[in-house]
Amino acid sequence: MNALTSAVWKREPQSALRIVDAHAHAGPYSLFFIPDAGRGGLMRVMDRCGVSHAVISSHLAIQLDAAEGNAQTAEIVGQAPDRFTGYLTVNPWQDPVGELDKWGNDPRFGGVKLHPDLHDYPLTGRRYAPVWEFAQRTGCPVLTHTYDGSPYNDLPMVDEVAARHPGVVILAGHAGATPLGFDAAIEVAQRRPGVVLEVCGSFNTGADIATMVREVGADRVVYGSDFPFIDLRMSLGRVIFSGLPEEDRAAVLGGTMTRLLQWRSGLG
Amino acid sequence: MLIDADAMLGRYPRRDVGEGTVTETLARMDRFGIAEAVVSHTLSWLHDPHTGNLRLLDLIEGEPRLRPCWVLLPDTCGETGTPAEFVSAAKAAGVGAVRAYPADHGYDLAGRDAASMLHALAEAELPLLFDAPQVGWPAIESIARTHPELSVVVGGLGYRTLRQAAGVLSRTANVHLGLANLSSHCGLEWLVERYGPHRVVFGTGAPVRDPAESVTRLLWSELDDQAVAAIGAGNLRSLLREEARVA
Repeated sequence: MNALTSAVWKREPQSALRIVDAHAHAGPYSLFFIPDAGRGGLMRVMDRCGVSHAVISSHLAIQLDAAEGNAQTAEIVGQAPDRFTGYLTVNPWQDPVGELDKWGNDPRFGGVKLHPDLHDYPLTGRRYAPVWEFAQRTGCPVLTHTYDGSPYNDLPMVDEVAARHPGVVILAGHAGATPLGFDAAIEVAQRRPGVVLEVCGSFNTGADIATMVREVGADRVVYGSDFPFIDLRMSLGRVIFSGLPEEDRAAVLGGTMTRLLQWRSGLG
Repeated sequence: MLIDADAMLGRYPRRDVGEGTVTETLARMDRFGIAEAVVSHTLSWLHDPHTGNLRLLDLIEGEPRLRPCWVLLPDTCGETGTPAEFVSAAKAAGVGAVRAYPADHGYDLAGRDAASMLHALAEAELPLLFDAPQVGWPAIESIARTHPELSVVVGGLGYRTLRQAAGVLSRTANVHLGLANLSSHCGLEWLVERYGPHRVVFGTGAPVRDPAESVTRLLWSELDDQAVAAIGAGNLRSLLREEARVA
C-alpha cells in the first residue's frame, strides 16, 4: 500500500502529490444529463480526491459556440485561477484567427483544444493552420480529441500533423480511446516526440496506462479525466492502482502536465 | 467490505485481459480489497450458456469467496431445460444470481419467450443481472413491472443514460443499478440522494473493466460510510438473501 491507495482506502483526500487533470470540461451538455456540472461541483470532487488543478474547456465551447464558450471558460478560470487553467477551443468553422487573437495572450488559457469529431472537420485540414502557427510560435500545447477509426481524428491524422509540426506539443486526447487506438497512439508517440498521450475515456485501464508509460515514458503520458462528462474518479483510480513506480505515477498524475503548462513563462 | 456482483471468469476474445482463471481472479480481488465476488463465465456468454454454467461450477467448487452466477436462455429451444429445471438446478448448485445477454443471444428478454423463465427466477428469489445496452430502458421497465417480485440489477450504464435510468427508477421499486461503469459525473451521489443507497450495488465489470474504477468511485464518493457499506456489500447480501458471513 502507498500514500495514494491508502488515501482511497481511508476515504480521505490524497495529499501526497500535486495532481493535475489535463482533460476536463464544465457545464451542461445536450445529449445527456450531468449532475452538478458547474464550477462548484467540479471543485468539490477535486477537493474530495485531492486533485489540485484541472485544465478545462467549457462544453459550450466544444459543442455549440466557441466564442461564447471560451468566454465562459475564461470566467470559470478567473474565479479560481489556482484551481483551473483554460483550453482555448478553436472551432475551424467559427473564426479560428479571431479567437486566437482575442485570447492568445490571456494567461487564463494554457492550451488550445481541438475537437475534430464534434466539428466534423479533419485534424489535418487547413482551417487549423492558425492553431499550429500559434503553437509553434509560443510553445502552447494543443489537446485534440482522438478516436480510433474516426474520419476526423484518427491516429494517422495525429501522425500527419505531428510530422508537419515537429516543434508543437500535441496531446492526443483519449490516446485513441479504444484498445486498438491505444496501440496506434503508442506507435505515433514513438515516432513523433511532440506527441503526448492523455488517458481519459471509457475503455482505458491501469494496465493500458502502464503499457503506455513503458513504451513512451512517463514524461509523455498525462492523466486526464474528461469530467464532468465522465466522473473524475474513474480515470484517476486507474492511474492510482496501475502499479506504476511512484516516480512515474507522479509524472503521469501531474508532473508532466505542470511542465507543459509553463510555456507562458518562457515568452518574451 | 466489498462484494463484487459483476465479475467474470474465462478467456475474452476482444482484448488482452488475462486468462480469466480462478487464481487470477482471486489475486485481482486481493489487490483491490474485494472480499467476495459473484462470478459468471465467458463461456456462458460468448459460446454456450449450458456448457459455461456447468464449467463455472467445476471451476469454483470449494472456493468460498466466489459465488456462481448462471446465464439464462428462454426455454423455446430447450437448451437449458424448462424454467423449473433451470431454477431448481441453479438453487441446488448454490447459484446466487442469474445473468442475461438477450442482445448477444438473440431473444427478447421482455417478450413472451422469456416470461416463464423470469417468473421462475422471481419465485426462486434469484436476482437477475444484465447490462443496460443488452435490454434497453423501455424493456427494463416492462420487465420490472411485469415481474414486480423479481430483483433486477442493471449494469453498464456509462455516462450518457441518467435520464432514462432515473425515469425507470422513479416508476419501479425492484430495479437496482450496478456500479461498474456507472460513470456520470457525481451520478452516484445524485442517484443515492434521489433514490436511496439501497438502489445501487457494487460491481467491477472485471476483467474487461478495471476494478480501480468502481473501487475509487465508491470509496472516494461523497457518501457517508453507512451508504458506502450498503452499496459495497449490504445491498447485494440482501438480494442474495444471505446474512453477512463471518470474515
